[in-house]
This record gives sequence, C-alpha cells and structure tokens, in this order.
Amino acid sequence: MRRFFRENSLGLVFGSLFLIVLVGQAFAGHADYNQQQVAAGMEPISLSRYLTSASFGVDVAENWQSEYLQFFLYIFLTVWLVQKGSPESKQLGDEGRESDRDQKVGAFATDSSPRWARYPGLRGSLFANSLGLVMGTLFLLSWLTQSIAGTAAFNEEQLRDLQEPVTWAQYLTEPDFWNRTLQNWQSELLAVASMVILSIYLRQRGSPESKPVGSSDDATGVEG
Amino acid sequence: MRLILLPIGLLLLAGCGSVDDRSAAAASVASSFLQAVADRDGSAACGVLAPATAEKIGEDCAEGVLSEPLPAPSPVTDSQVYGQRALVRLGNETIFLGMFPGGWRVVAAGCTPQGDRPYDCVVEG
Repeated sequence: MRRFFRENSLGLVFGSLFLIVLVGQAFAGHADYNQQQVAAGMEPISLSRYLTSASFGVDVAENWQSEYLQFFLYIFLTVWLVQKGSPESKQLGDEGRESDRDQKVGAFATDSSPRWARYPGLRGSLFANSLGLVMGTLFLLSWLTQSIAGTAAFNEEQLRDLQEPVTWAQYLTEPDFWNRTLQNWQSELLAVASMVILSIYLRQRGSPESKPVGSSDDATGVEG
Repeated sequence: MRLILLPIGLLLLAGCGSVDDRSAAAASVASSFLQAVADRDGSAACGVLAPATAEKIGEDCAEGVLSEPLPAPSPVTDSQVYGQRALVRLGNETIFLGMFPGGWRVVAAGCTPQGDRPYDCVVEG
C-alpha cells in the first residue's frame, strides 16, 4: 500500500487536490448563488439542488474545457514547434513525427512496448495519437457542456431580469459565452507561454519540468 | 476514461430530468393566477404571488391585485423553465415565475416586450 502510494504519488495527490478543490468550489458557488437568490427576493436553494444546477455546471465546464484545450494544443504543437533552451521542447532538428525506429512502433516495437504500438494502419495510428486525441475530445465535450449549461444559466439570469430567454444557437453568439470561453483560454495560453519561456532561464532543482540547475540556457529538451 | 466522461454526462443531464414536470407546474400556476383575477378572487390570486410581488401591490394585496389591468386567461402557448425561474406565455400575455419552497410563484405578470430591454410588467416584485 505504502509502495503503491510512493509509486503513484503524483497522480494521487493531484487527483485528491482536484476533489478537495471541487468540493470547495461547490460550497463557495452555492453560497454565491444563494446570495444572489436572496438579493432578488427569492429563497435559498439546497446544496444538492445547486450541484445539479446549470450555474454550477457552466462554472465547472468552462474551466475544464480550457485545461483540456491547453494540453491538447501543447501535445500537438510540440510535435512540430520547438523553443531553443526550453526543457518543454524537443531538441532542435527533431521537429515532426520522428522515425518509427525512434518512436519504437511497428517493426521497431520492443518486448515492453504496448500491444497497439505494433499494429499498422488505423489501430496503430490511433494509439500513436491517442493522448492528443483524448485531450481534444475531452476539450470538445467540456466545451459542449459549457455551452449547454451556459445557455440554461444565462436564461435563468435573463428571466430574473424579466428578459427573453435565448436558444442554444443564439447563446453561441452571446457575449456571455465568449467572455466565459476567452477569459479561460487567455489564462491557459499565458501559463504555457510562461512555462516555455521562463524554463529557459530559471531552474527548479529536481523537477523534470526544469532542466538541471547547471545546464546552460541554450540546452534544449533536457529534463532535470 | 469512462470515469472522466461520467461527470460530463451528469452535467449534460443535470437539470433536464424533470423539466417537463416543472414547466407544466409553472404553466398551471400562471393559469390559476389569471383565472383567479378573472374570477375576482383576489385572495387566490395573491396566494400564488411571490412575496416581494405581493408586497409591492400594497397592504391589501387581495384588493389591489384586482385593480391592476391584467389580461383575461388564455390557453398556455409556451412554458420554459431555467433553474429557479420560469416564463409562461398565455396568448399575448407573458408571466415570469420563481421557484419557492411551496412551489412556483408569480414574480411578474401583465408583461409586454420592450425589445432588448426588460419586459414592462403590470405587477412585478
């Protein structure tokens, strides 16, 4: 058990922190929602009702979609784009999908390679792009969820203000949808750009996200 | 993967479960409000008003609500529910409702559209 935790501590800690923070968001969002309810002359709602509300749904989904978009873009763009001096980048000159030998696929798969790395054709291609594809799919699903829950949450506010509700298609052209979307995208892109560029000049001893402390600023694709 | 998709699916389904029941209940309350006004039953009409709306009508809600220029009841043509709010159309009349512990209550009635601005309502909280 202790060994299991030690060998999986990164995933376990982040998974646990995610759940703790999601619970915190649920309580804070519930209090905020009820504050607005009371201010509008309505009654507070229960936590369970809030957890199934569009208001909670859109607040969760709008953040999820941008995180998955961030990783999807990062995974795909780092295949072809490089950054001199960044440990986040592959070596200069390695741009592209690389050779089957380097990627240990098809005839070059080893005994310890996953079974799907040996398959040619669609199955092999799917597996070879599975990380990016899953991130991209989760991004689209989260964004779709944001748009659906966002329509209902927006319409609830419209009715509170004695205004006309909108359809899902109309909501996609509303400033509310794009404001929620773009404010998350810009922060994710800033975080990635910061990581790529700051990691050229700054170090974090022992972290695989940094190059070794003594590496030169020019060293590219070197992880500590 | 399935574990990740589950909450997304739940979010998609959230709020969809009993929308039909809830919109039917909202439509019923909106109809009963206009019917009570048409029947000159001020107490019944005030009984389905949201507290803030009833308060705004005046000290004697039952009498005050009957003096408002509210339309005669018409068949329900549309009922939409979003969270704790609902909109019901009865012919040309639009009624806004809110969900309270006792059920739907009329928040605003006798409402006419004003383009991009909020509806102008004869009674509202």
